Amino acid sequence: MRDYWLSRFFFEMQQPAVRERYAADPQGVMDGYRIKPEVQTAIRANDVGALSALTNPYLLRFYFGYVGMPEAEFLSRIRATGPGKTAAEVVHG
Amino acid sequence: MAELVGVFAASHGPVIVRDWDKLTPEIQASLNAAFEETGRRLSAVRADLVIVISPDHWVNFFMNNLPAICIGVGEEHAGPPEPFMKPYPYMDSMRGDPAFAAHVVETAMSRDFEPSISHHLVLDHGFCLPLWKMKLDRLPLILPIAINDLEPPMMSVRRCLQWGRLLREAIAGYPGDLRVAILATGGLSHSIGEHTMGQVDEAFDQRCIAALRAGDDATVIHQLEDGLASTGNGAQEARNWVIAHGAAASKGFDLIAYLPTPEVYVGCAFAEWKL
Repeated sequence: MRDYWLSRFFFEMQQPAVRERYAADPQGVMDGYRIKPEVQTAIRANDVGALSALTNPYLLRFYFGYVGMPEAEFLSRIRATGPGKTAAEVVHG
Repeated sequence: MAELVGVFAASHGPVIVRDWDKLTPEIQASLNAAFEETGRRLSAVRADLVIVISPDHWVNFFMNNLPAICIGVGEEHAGPPEPFMKPYPYMDSMRGDPAFAAHVVETAMSRDFEPSISHHLVLDHGFCLPLWKMKLDRLPLILPIAINDLEPPMMSVRRCLQWGRLLREAIAGYPGDLRVAILATGGLSHSIGEHTMGQVDEAFDQRCIAALRAGDDATVIHQLEDGLASTGNGAQEARNWVIAHGAAASKGFDLIAYLPTPEVYVGCAFAEWKL
């Protein structure tokens, strides 16, 4: 499944100007992308597992790189979404 | 008449540049040796133009408009926008050949292939990292071809092979005096932003290498269509290798190096096809 507006937000976060605006006003930027409230919650929580189900894996990787999540933490969180994990573990990965 | 003078492939994992200083001296040495040997061979064929086949990593295209294949027909191409590619030495000097590009597009359309075109492509690390690391004697003109290897639906492996044949035909049919090489980039196995990120699927890579080396088209198609469904998403870039394989008339290749390197997340591979 692809969430278009989440994906577009992640895509445009590659632009330095968007990142600067997001750093200053994350809520305003997310509102500008029409991102659903539950998805905004997942973004604010750095919920890699939940977001991974909604967008392209490369865009997911780019976003968490740009917002400064350490590589080891991203790897730990994305690996937790693998087979054998419960739905809750994935959603809150 | 134009002549196909060389067909090559090289991996392009961004960590090779982004985190170069974190790699061990042994890994640095092996990657440098593989890139530079591929570059030495590419320099040796004295190409006037190189067709570089790479995915676009969400730089030119988004879900609004996502071509399966896009040919860069412009006079010049923009350099990579990724911060880690800032020192790229050809940032403002990547030139195209609009006449040759138009011929390739016209040949494609006349054979019922319908590529997208762009008069100004931005070439990301997928195109540029190998060109940088290869340390070429000089940078030839570039015809970039962006393949959608990132977001389904993607071209079938069979269609990639047909595109390779089409490129071969287009080169042979170009009336200008032009020495043309092909460089496919990406692959082999890797996984980005998935739960398997960091894993290198050596079994997939070896099957892929064996099939391309043997040259049997049916085996190449079978191995890849079957294998791509069950390995990491980055391996989809092996489609670019299949285009190169088709352009080289499926005569098999010389494996320059296979370096399964989890430290850069990629089963790195380098090859030169027989012509």
